[in-house]
Amino acid sequence: MKDLIAILNQIRPGQDFAGSTDFFSQGVLDSLDLTTLVAELETRYNVFVDVEEIVPDKFRSLAAIQELLAKHGVTL
Amino acid sequence: MTAGANGNGSDRGVRQVLLVGDTTLDPLARLLERNSDAPKLRCSAAPYGQVFQILLDGNHPAWANKPDNLVVWTAPQLTLPSLGKLMRFEAINHDEALREAEQFADALLQAAGRVPMVMVPTWILPSRERWIQTLTCKHGVGLANLLARANLMLAEKVAGQSNIVLLDAHYWQTGLGRSAHDPRMYAVAKILYSQPMLEKAAAEIKSVLRGSLGLGKKVIVCDLDNTLWGGVVGDEGAHAIKLGAPDPVGECFHAFQSALKGLRARGILLAICSKNDEKFALSVIDDHPAMVLRKSDFVAWRINWKNKAENLVSLAEQLNLGLDSFVFLDDSPQEREQIHQMLPQVFTPDLPVSPADLAPFVSSLDCFETPALGREDFERTEMYQAECGRREVVEMSGGVENWLRSLQIEVRVARVQRENLPRAAQLLNKTNQFNLRLRRMDEQSFWNWVEERGNSAYVFNVSDRFGDFGLTGLASVSRRGEEAQIVDFVMSCRVMGKKVEEALLGYTLSQALADGAVRVIAPAFEGPRNAPAREFFAAKYLSGDEAAIDRERVSVPSMITLKEESLASA
Repeated sequence: MKDLIAILNQIRPGQDFAGSTDFFSQGVLDSLDLTTLVAELETRYNVFVDVEEIVPDKFRSLAAIQELLAKHGVTL
Repeated sequence: MTAGANGNGSDRGVRQVLLVGDTTLDPLARLLERNSDAPKLRCSAAPYGQVFQILLDGNHPAWANKPDNLVVWTAPQLTLPSLGKLMRFEAINHDEALREAEQFADALLQAAGRVPMVMVPTWILPSRERWIQTLTCKHGVGLANLLARANLMLAEKVAGQSNIVLLDAHYWQTGLGRSAHDPRMYAVAKILYSQPMLEKAAAEIKSVLRGSLGLGKKVIVCDLDNTLWGGVVGDEGAHAIKLGAPDPVGECFHAFQSALKGLRARGILLAICSKNDEKFALSVIDDHPAMVLRKSDFVAWRINWKNKAENLVSLAEQLNLGLDSFVFLDDSPQEREQIHQMLPQVFTPDLPVSPADLAPFVSSLDCFETPALGREDFERTEMYQAECGRREVVEMSGGVENWLRSLQIEVRVARVQRENLPRAAQLLNKTNQFNLRLRRMDEQSFWNWVEERGNSAYVFNVSDRFGDFGLTGLASVSRRGEEAQIVDFVMSCRVMGKKVEEALLGYTLSQALADGAVRVIAPAFEGPRNAPAREFFAAKYLSGDEAAIDRERVSVPSMITLKEESLASA
């Protein structure tokens, strides 16, 4: 999970990712950050996130991202 | 047009960048802002799809921040409707497609009058786009042919506008292949390019900006053993080192030296820092049949057993250049680590482990960017070598005055004109030490400033009996009524210490007085490295008036011959 928070901090430094339950509605990330996040996760964990998965719902919290990565065989 | 939103000294602060495109460029704006390399940028991406509106309309809200730089990145299939149709195999008129390219170029030219620098990535198509291979290059028929012609048309149309820089997006794409574009992100957010492509674009844009601000590296210092050749020459002997055919490893080092020789040809200085026996190592350099680089290709060397940090400092002193303009190439991780720790301002990249990767590695370094290439670049090594000869003479001449007289220094002065403008702007932007105001301006902005009423600017070519230093001095004056201000006073470090600055100031002052000024001021800007210029002027000010020049303290030294060349107004 530390790795994931580090990635998020690179995209948006200084945000409280661990304390947020919905990155997008709480203004921690925006929709353009989402595309960057997808690219970063793909590079870091060697996964491919297909287009139907690139929606805010799948990336709204640490738990949601953890669940998405788990589906791709990555355990945090 | 203004010379930049940050008041002509844009490098001191954050530079404003406006990105305009027909797809979403916000991620590029963010990458540019987050890139920690100098210069710092504040970027705004205009809403996509308003390219022509923004380029043609100076009152468009996108211009509100008065950008220092404009990036216009368009996709050919969107900006050139005919090309888009051809991509889908619809019948088109190729000449009409080229007219569309011409219209785009015209819009760029209009925008270029509003901003100091415009960067335009060339048109590329997604690598996965396979047109009919039999026909794609055929003139008047194929997609690849039309794309190439459109890019050429663009280059030809903007060739006369020096503040428009075309960036080779094809080169960026080549390194990434099919992954340069990301159809998922286009579907999600109209982002045409993949994250790696945008990262590459951000790095290259930063590199071009650094070059335009004179922040490019100037010197490569190389180790010898296992860097310029394979093996340790002191242990194995000159015949046993791997260099040149038929040995494949030797071929790799030969290719690496060829790449370095290419950099030397375009004005990057080469030097050596190696733990070896100097006499023996130099004999190998000059006598080994497969050496590409010879002693004459290097401006200086430190071949001894001292620590390399000490040697780099000594090289910097000899060349009169800052260590932050140095690149150090050494195969030894320990040596590199020492330089990392002791001289962090030196760029010390990790070298590839495989000799086969050395030449591609040095060819791909993006730290040597320059906005122009001129005679001074092509002859830089010879100029520095001549300087070493001068220093030897001073030791034998018995006193500085005698030495200076023996040099037979000649300064030729001319007004800044279109012909010498590229070098004048290069000097203004690259010089850090002898630079009164550290004003950074691109060519077009400087030209506009020179053309303003009351402003004048001079360039100085310096030579002596050892050779020609080239255009190494620049002074500009702005007169308002009876008061004139020396705005820029810039001199290359190559001519420092020869009283050339006295001649330059003597001339500049006499011109200002002849032009009607009664009082001439020359306030200095306190930069981190321009103490030489500030100290020179501090000795020229009137007592009690720390900006006005005391004409009694200024004269052209008798041992310097000053000649006026064509002084027709610009």
